[in-house]
Amino acid sequence: MAAVPAARAGASGWSAAAAVAPASIIVTIGIVLPIVILFRYSLNQYTPARMMVDAFSIENYAKFLTDPFYLSVLFRTIRVAALCTAICVVLAFPMAYCLARTRSRFKNLMLMAIILPLFVGNAVRAAGWMVLFGNRGFVNSILMGLGITREPLQIMYTEFAVVVGVIAVNLPFVVLTLQAVLEGIDRAIEEAALGLGADPWRTFRHVVLPLAMPGVIAGTILSFILAMNAYATPVLLGGPTFQMMAPTVYNQFAGLSNWPFGAAMAFILMTATLLLTVTSNWLAQSRYRRALVTPINVAGK
Amino acid sequence: MEKHSSDITRRRLMKAAGALAGVAAIGGWSPARAQAGGRIVLGTWGGDYSKLLSKNIDTPLMAPKKYEVVHDIGGDPERRAKMRAEARLPRGTSDLQGLSAAQMYEMNEAGLCLPIDYAKIPNAKYVLPQMRYPYGIGHIYSGKVILYNPKLIATPPTSFADALDSRHGGKLGIIDIQYQFTMMAAALASGGSMTDYEPGKARLMACRKAGAKILPTNEAMAQALQNEEVGICIMWKARAVQWQKAGAKVETVAPKEGIPLYISGFVIPKNAPNKDAAHVWLNEMLEPSAQEAFAEDMGYNASVTNAKIPPETEKRIGFNAEERKRLIDLDYGYLAKNDTALKEWWDKTFKG
Repeated sequence: MAAVPAARAGASGWSAAAAVAPASIIVTIGIVLPIVILFRYSLNQYTPARMMVDAFSIENYAKFLTDPFYLSVLFRTIRVAALCTAICVVLAFPMAYCLARTRSRFKNLMLMAIILPLFVGNAVRAAGWMVLFGNRGFVNSILMGLGITREPLQIMYTEFAVVVGVIAVNLPFVVLTLQAVLEGIDRAIEEAALGLGADPWRTFRHVVLPLAMPGVIAGTILSFILAMNAYATPVLLGGPTFQMMAPTVYNQFAGLSNWPFGAAMAFILMTATLLLTVTSNWLAQSRYRRALVTPINVAGK
Repeated sequence: MEKHSSDITRRRLMKAAGALAGVAAIGGWSPARAQAGGRIVLGTWGGDYSKLLSKNIDTPLMAPKKYEVVHDIGGDPERRAKMRAEARLPRGTSDLQGLSAAQMYEMNEAGLCLPIDYAKIPNAKYVLPQMRYPYGIGHIYSGKVILYNPKLIATPPTSFADALDSRHGGKLGIIDIQYQFTMMAAALASGGSMTDYEPGKARLMACRKAGAKILPTNEAMAQALQNEEVGICIMWKARAVQWQKAGAKVETVAPKEGIPLYISGFVIPKNAPNKDAAHVWLNEMLEPSAQEAFAEDMGYNASVTNAKIPPETEKRIGFNAEERKRLIDLDYGYLAKNDTALKEWWDKTFKG
């Protein structure tokens, strides 16, 4: 009798393996292999004439970690990514909540309005912001037209422009992630909290937010990773003087042909993103672990 | 009979196919190649330059000879990286690469360029000596001059020292991607030379502290001049002519320290698939008709002596006898050796 389930289990294991294999092969060839090659490059040495000389040296990593300029670029990138992510989550939550709770017949249209910006590439969107932020752009024309300012404000090529541009790119991703989770929260739970005398703020803080934490964490991770690796927006809106990691990595590869140092920088960016993401995820999970479990019991599911 | 006939037809077909395959395997023959002179993949910048290469060389001069020219469009950093990445391949993906003279030198130093066989390029005898290299040929040239808006800059500048001066404050514009020429101009203005850019650094830092605007690209500078956000900068004379045509109210001045040459040309990668066709293209590039059209359309000077540039165009884009004496070529060896250090200083200290 036990042989039949075992055979079934074996067959289902094989079919699962067959289903997973194509994606695994693509990931191995398309992601893992280039990363391994990139890591090998990062240990090589650079000479202007030969570009790359085979070596096993950590000097590229040491150069980055001991140079205040490159460290400042990394910390600036982390600061911008953290700021953009925080603003995205704060802005996205009410939007996602309204979308999840609305019974309007225009709900699909609202969702389309959120998704629509994703149809346009980052560079094109940044070009739109350039039209708005230029010294003779829309914002400055309005400010000067209304007599609020006499001289155009320098908005282009500033941190403000980059933050706005990155938020505009990331916001739809966070809204959609949160909306999917909020849709899954039973409305009866909120009604129960309100019925038991909790005011809307306490209901949000003690009921909705803890239940929505998986979405908040997923949205935060998504936004943070996107912002850490942003390229087009910092280049176009930050200009030459506001330097972030992804454009600096690109500059090492394409501008200076210094592939070993560019590869080391890419690895440092990847590692910093991974470490910060894992740490923040772990902190958030441990902070809300109890809250994530309790509401399921409350809901009686 | 029908069967017999059909069998013979099939045999004949098989024989014909076998013969075709054999010939193709031996000689690389294909019906398309038999009709055409060949296919050339040309690496070039996009925009106007690529369009004008098609308009003035590919279509009128190469197409009648049955050559198909395909443009591999990209910035020079990407195309140089591609040349380096393909260096180990026996067969590369491009037959020609458009680069500046400094970049041509750098690629040759890296051992990536095919020596030019000048015997295959009859038009090469007309090429200006400064633009004839063992590893490449100059296509067009211009010189670095000062651009200024008389409305914003009261005293006309005469030198790089006048232009790259902290007294201009935010009216001075500097183009990020022109870091080499900017550092060179600052060096010439501060007692440096083509082999020593160090003396210019203090001048540039003073300009930066005074509020000089750093703009990312040539196009951004054109817009800033048009909007009068910037009143003075340094740029190729050819670009100045284009911007004047577009309505920018700027004058040009040939600096008294010297006019650094900007030469744009082409090299043949060592592993180019169609080297003979690449030589044919280089010969057509030097045709007077093509050179005259580039001078008219793009404002760059011809690299050959037999092009007949209309006097009015020559006056607009060229340099007079006195100015021609001040044209100075770059030290490409110095640039190739120090480029990484120059760029690091630019990114970390000047912009940082």
